[in-house]
Amino acid sequence: MHITLNAQPLEIASSCTVTELLQQHQLTGEGLAVAINDAVIVKRCWSAHILQPNDVVQLFQIVTGG
Amino acid sequence: MFQIADRTFSSRLLLGSGKFASPLLMQQAVRASGCQLVTLAIKRLELTKPQDDLVTPLRNMHIQLLPNTSGAKNAKEAIFAAELAREALQTNWLKLEIHPDPRYLMPDPIETLAAAEQLVKLGFVVLPYCSADPVLCKRLEQVGCVAVMPLGAAIGSNQGLQTRSMLQIIIEQAQMPVIIDAGLGAPSHAAAAMELGAAAVLVNTAIASSNDPVAMAGAFANAVNAGRMAYLAGLATPQQQATASSPFTDFLATL
Repeated sequence: MHITLNAQPLEIASSCTVTELLQQHQLTGEGLAVAINDAVIVKRCWSAHILQPNDVVQLFQIVTGG
Repeated sequence: MFQIADRTFSSRLLLGSGKFASPLLMQQAVRASGCQLVTLAIKRLELTKPQDDLVTPLRNMHIQLLPNTSGAKNAKEAIFAAELAREALQTNWLKLEIHPDPRYLMPDPIETLAAAEQLVKLGFVVLPYCSADPVLCKRLEQVGCVAVMPLGAAIGSNQGLQTRSMLQIIIEQAQMPVIIDAGLGAPSHAAAAMELGAAAVLVNTAIASSNDPVAMAGAFANAVNAGRMAYLAGLATPQQQATASSPFTDFLATL
């Protein structure tokens, strides 16, 4: 199944959840945020939210700032 | 002690976490400053080089984390950034900042007010970075912001209280904490802000870009305390003419 992850094309298994996608990239979830098709996915839904073909996934991270 | 929303702070110095040479140095400066609130930013993750976990060490120090919306050019982008930040840090506290102009980073008052109003309705605890405009600050208070963060000078400019007389009006009129943010380049600037009656100051560049950020953090902490004590004690009024502090006597007249 084809998705876009932070502007990069990516093939993933069907029925992959947001949590599984993060695990595949060794991302723990602390300080992370996820938007799919420009809608923010709340953290408590990550494990149940199944990615759909052609989803545009954006991952964000807390960084230093003033 | 002062209060923002439902949280009480004993330190009136707030720190920004940007521009430090390393996350460890930032944490050391935070500890040296005694601050209890630190700002953070959010940006798109670089998959090839995700950054270290900044959050856990600050949480372990019981620091209130305040994510900002830096990078947002309008209210719509700021609200998107706010929703991301809320998930990333699991906090509804937010430093709202919208500054589309990269040269002076001046906050856009119209977009900031519009975003503040919507974010309050969405349940965010909103602290807006804003111009030192007394009317705008009142409007931000009226839409439900828990504090205002007017600028002393342009972000990172180290110019001190260029907006001094406007800040005095803002502080006089405010029914909520006024936190002077941006432009404070020296501990004396922070002390001056506190002498005006500011509830707190937020400092980043002046500490992070110092040769010794840990020592500078301590210097700012002392200055903030000194300024607050002076405000509470009541400053003497400036006068044009001299007034003698010692008694005039004529015991030298016989010489």
